[in-house]
Amino acid sequence: MDPIKTAVDKGRTSLSEYASKQVLKAWDIPVTREVLVQTADEAAAVAEDIGYPVALKPCAHDLMHKSELGCIELGLSGPEAVNQAYDRIRAKIKSPIEGVLVQEMIAGNRELVAGLSRDPQFGACVMLGFGGVMTEVIADTVFRAAPFDAIEALDMIRDLKYRAMLDAFRGQAPADLETLGRILTSLGRLGLERPDISEIDINPLIIAPDGAVTAVDALMILEGGPR
Amino acid sequence: MLSKISESPLYKIARPESIAFFGASNNFSAMGSSILNAILTDGYEGRIFPVHPREKKVFNLEAYARVQDLPAVPDLAYIVLPTKIVAETLRACGEKGIRRAVIVTAGFNEVRGEGTARQEEIKAIAREYGIRFTGPNCIGVVNSHIKLNATFLPSQKRTGFIGMASQSGSFITQMFDYLGPRFGQGFSTGFSLGNEADIDMADCIRYLGACPDTRAIALYIESIRRGREFIEAAREVSLTKPIVAFYVGGSETGKKACLSHTGSLAGPDRLYDGVFKQCGIIRAQSVEELFDFCYALGSCPLPGGNRAVIQTHSGGPGAAAADACGRAGIDLPTLSPATLEKLGAYVPHTGSVSNPVDLTYTKNPLDFFHAIPKILLEEEGADSMLVYFLASAAMIHRALAGMGLTKAEIDAQVEKIVEEQCASVAALMTAHNKPLLGFSFLTRENPFIAGLQDKGVPVLPSPERAAKALGAIVEYKRLREKLARSFEKAPGSKPQAET
Repeated sequence: MDPIKTAVDKGRTSLSEYASKQVLKAWDIPVTREVLVQTADEAAAVAEDIGYPVALKPCAHDLMHKSELGCIELGLSGPEAVNQAYDRIRAKIKSPIEGVLVQEMIAGNRELVAGLSRDPQFGACVMLGFGGVMTEVIADTVFRAAPFDAIEALDMIRDLKYRAMLDAFRGQAPADLETLGRILTSLGRLGLERPDISEIDINPLIIAPDGAVTAVDALMILEGGPR
Repeated sequence: MLSKISESPLYKIARPESIAFFGASNNFSAMGSSILNAILTDGYEGRIFPVHPREKKVFNLEAYARVQDLPAVPDLAYIVLPTKIVAETLRACGEKGIRRAVIVTAGFNEVRGEGTARQEEIKAIAREYGIRFTGPNCIGVVNSHIKLNATFLPSQKRTGFIGMASQSGSFITQMFDYLGPRFGQGFSTGFSLGNEADIDMADCIRYLGACPDTRAIALYIESIRRGREFIEAAREVSLTKPIVAFYVGGSETGKKACLSHTGSLAGPDRLYDGVFKQCGIIRAQSVEELFDFCYALGSCPLPGGNRAVIQTHSGGPGAAAADACGRAGIDLPTLSPATLEKLGAYVPHTGSVSNPVDLTYTKNPLDFFHAIPKILLEEEGADSMLVYFLASAAMIHRALAGMGLTKAEIDAQVEKIVEEQCASVAALMTAHNKPLLGFSFLTRENPFIAGLQDKGVPVLPSPERAAKALGAIVEYKRLREKLARSFEKAPGSKPQAET
């Protein structure tokens, strides 16, 4: 089943976080371990499986700005906390949702953003930038037009003004640049091979203390969707 | 990639053997007349057929009432007519068998509305007859190697190795007086593109890439229309020839100016930064950098790395160059014991042999042009050289006068000395295959500066500009190696180089 085609057939113009990450995962982009659940008990069972702490988020294709709704539950460290968080989310979100996402928490204070957009002249373009709360202020973003290879992806990463953050940093390992490069080339290939995706936003892309790079939240806008 | 330059749609536009000229009359103030005047003044050797409904002669050339009356089929039609009659003229050219055109006339897509419809009309006519054209709303073409200056200003009649494609005609025609007095250069070939209704920047990159007279390519860009083709062409050409681009559509203010200038939609600055990088293109931040970088890249061999030696006999200019090197990513290594030993005999006790090498003065002034730079170019720890030139012909005059020579003897001696010394520096650069960039506050009025430049040693007007230009050369080398690795890894995609 192709989640993009299914969504387009239903007249949807975006994918939920869960569906977006399923697509990214299929394209070799590392994403958080997560399961979509329908009950509090299920949530607690899944959390046990994933390992505490976990995050809970409501999941629906039309929930684009979850953090602004104040319904993201982070750092839940036991079954009781998961149960309560689950109920809070259900109480807060009145619109229909696909379920609640139980997700591993990725530790790491180095955040990037990555994405795909479409330029009228160059077509599919991939963006990489410095992430976190200061992302707009720091405005450290670099681009490449698709397609490009791993060699080009490394050059793109090198273009970041604050690339020193990707080296060994305050006791943390250097970022896994090979994986980061693969994320960028995959986004480019996705852009070329799936014209039905108009935009992808991975925010944040967290670099763990061991250097591993993971897409923690993601959003896909489909053809005809809002830009 | 073009396997032969003659496959380019621009071949007959850049090298026409004959031109049908529309829009020149004996009224000298008309734009068409100015262009034809410039063509004749520069000494174009091909045939020109002015077409004019009433004039029997234009500028002493036999004129023809209609294009169908021409005794031959010219390679190129040059159209500088009122907007309304461009379409019918292009059709008549097609009927005659002319397959290339430069359409200078404005009033097309850049004015929107009816202009857009008019542009579509000429595109359709061109397709029908297989005509390829530049413009509309452009200035024209220059090719100094065939003395063709089809712009409205006189050129300085200089040849050169900088090829240019510009979305503004001014950066072709108004740069003659810039490149000439500063670098002793003209354009190898220059295209003004205007609205790019047919031929565009990507075609120009391929043409200039294959053009044997062109060693560096300058692009003035307001917007790239066929993004994918642009990237493909530039990546291939950058593998063998440097491209420098100046893009002005990235800021909000620049974007608005571009829309009204050529009707083009400019894209975000950071995206263009990235596209240039992936194409191996060096981005210039100003018109000045555009030509500085092309001039330096076209003059110098590529360095092994980013380490330079600075040679000076004045502390300030040397220190300014050192500071600018730091900002441009150029390292200044300590000289090796072997180099220091060789230098010893030439450096007075007041000098300094750290890098910059500051000679303060030289026992024999001519050592500055041969013995010392030779030693410094032999330094294995450095990949390139920056040299401050304060050579004054007047000093040699005085020295020779002191020896009791006559004025005629002195003049002849000075000319000979300048010639020999400049040739020596140029030969050193070639022999050691390392970039050597000069900088000086003197101009080409000084025979040493003109001599160095004319022998192929680039001399820039300040230490900062020389250091930045060296930075551009180092960056080009890095990007070119990156591209080579990419093509290497993707077998089958490697472009066939022209033989």
